[in-house]
Amino acid sequence: MNGQASRILLRRQFLEGGRTRVSRGSERGFSCSVRRYAQQQQPGPGPERKSTQTTHFGFETVAEGVKEQRVGAVFSSVAASYDTMNDLMSLGIHRLWKDHFVRNLNPGRNPLTAPPSSTSTPPAPQGWNILDIAGGTGDIAFRLLDHASTINHDAHTTVTVADINPDMLAEGRKRALSSPYARTSRLSFVEANAESLTTIPSSSIDLYTVAFGIRNFTHKDAALREAYRVLKPGGVFACLEFSKVNSPLFDAVYKRWSFAAIPLIGQLVAGDRDSYQYLVESIERFPSQTEFRDMIKVAGFLVPGKGWEDLTGGIAAIHKGVKPM
Amino acid sequence: MASRAPTSVSVLGILRATSCRPAAALKLQRFYHSYEYTQPPPFQPAESAILSASISHVPSYGFTLNALTLGACDAGYLDVSTNLLPRGVFDLVNYHLVMQRLALKDTVQFPTEGGQGRSSSIGAKIRALTLARLHANRPVIHRWQEALAIMAQPSYVPASLDELAQLADEIWFLAGDKSVDSSWYTKRASLSAVYSATEVFMTQDTSKDFVETEKFLDARLEDAIKVGGFLGAVSGWVDYTGHSALNVLRNKGVRI
Repeated sequence: MNGQASRILLRRQFLEGGRTRVSRGSERGFSCSVRRYAQQQQPGPGPERKSTQTTHFGFETVAEGVKEQRVGAVFSSVAASYDTMNDLMSLGIHRLWKDHFVRNLNPGRNPLTAPPSSTSTPPAPQGWNILDIAGGTGDIAFRLLDHASTINHDAHTTVTVADINPDMLAEGRKRALSSPYARTSRLSFVEANAESLTTIPSSSIDLYTVAFGIRNFTHKDAALREAYRVLKPGGVFACLEFSKVNSPLFDAVYKRWSFAAIPLIGQLVAGDRDSYQYLVESIERFPSQTEFRDMIKVAGFLVPGKGWEDLTGGIAAIHKGVKPM
Repeated sequence: MASRAPTSVSVLGILRATSCRPAAALKLQRFYHSYEYTQPPPFQPAESAILSASISHVPSYGFTLNALTLGACDAGYLDVSTNLLPRGVFDLVNYHLVMQRLALKDTVQFPTEGGQGRSSSIGAKIRALTLARLHANRPVIHRWQEALAIMAQPSYVPASLDELAQLADEIWFLAGDKSVDSSWYTKRASLSAVYSATEVFMTQDTSKDFVETEKFLDARLEDAIKVGGFLGAVSGWVDYTGHSALNVLRNKGVRI
């Protein structure tokens, strides 16, 4: 019964896909489906012309004010099927990246090292204060807390999950219920814009993480400046994000996969081709490792070593920055 | 006319940019030894602050993340600031290696040439410098096997070997060796082998003031000289026999 229902649903999606393909007519290219959506949103080109500041939304150029809404629409649409889709698109490798990201950060105060420093300075906080930006579904937050509790035996580290999208936060809250941190003060969810974290005081955060989120920000430099503001001196900005593949041969294979397979999987599994088309286009538009490293430096951070670590040949990269004393 | 003004400005900008470049290049790290310019410090100030504070915790905590975290706290940083060191504990080991290598030129002083008496031979200088470098490991010698294990991890092997090569080069340079033939390579290779063998021996040496290590080093240096002499004799023999054979053949009328 259930299987039949889903089959019908699938068929309906295919029909819909076919219908849109017919109605599209002469339009061709990667982002035409998203563009169609944009045309529905904006009655004419008039208001877009008027605003001088533009940014990119996938391969399109849109007014800055519009990008935030449209990214919001994308993530509201994918929130429910987020994990299944990530598994299918990255063949499960995204879990390895996230585990590696958290393990390298080594969150949590080590009890062996904590006592001598906390006895000398009375009001020393017992755990780390972590801010996980764009972490709506709690993927990174649960890993951070697990690592702190089981590896470093630290029961005080807190994680604040901030996301601009209420649908993603709802998904995270739902998942938190099945984790041991459901009703503790160690995990909290906040709806906030990473470009102006007004609710978070300056110099209050030990670790600022953003995993697969900064790509979607309208003003990446503003977000970096805000990260610099909220971090304590010596605090760390850590970013896990898609990046540029190093080997040209592997890059060709990867581009094939991302532009041909991912939107198709999105259509079949999540019933939403446009959102996944946006995802691959936004990956393509994100700055390279060196450019992003320089952006982090411009914001005032010290970068460790060369400034980044490539994962799986550069498909993703971990960037870090330390706020100087 | 109006359009020419911006271009002239941009040309000026380019000229200014190119004229700035040599000044910036002077600050770059050199791959050769320069008497005119001092090398930039090997570590950034923040890294240096954390690492130098961490080194003092190595005798009690070993080359571990605990030592690094304690060092970061001592330097006024947070626990999380150890992320500034991308290679973690290997950066701590590397700091020790680099700082002790650079300290060699200040710790070992030789009487200047032309002073009273004759100056010591290059061999004696090599011995003194190698011994001084080995003695610099004394405060952490009970933890040195940990460091060797970290250096032997596959991803850190190239960096460790590079540092060993730089140490051998530094010792030969400070000893005043000016060879410009192929012995440049063999000298550095054999000293690297002798040094690393002695370093491992020293971790298990329980004798007073490491006299056993000193004996071991002398024996290895002697071996190296013997091997070097033997190789020299072999190459001399090959050279002589080869030329003789060639001349015999020429005498027989072979056109070579």
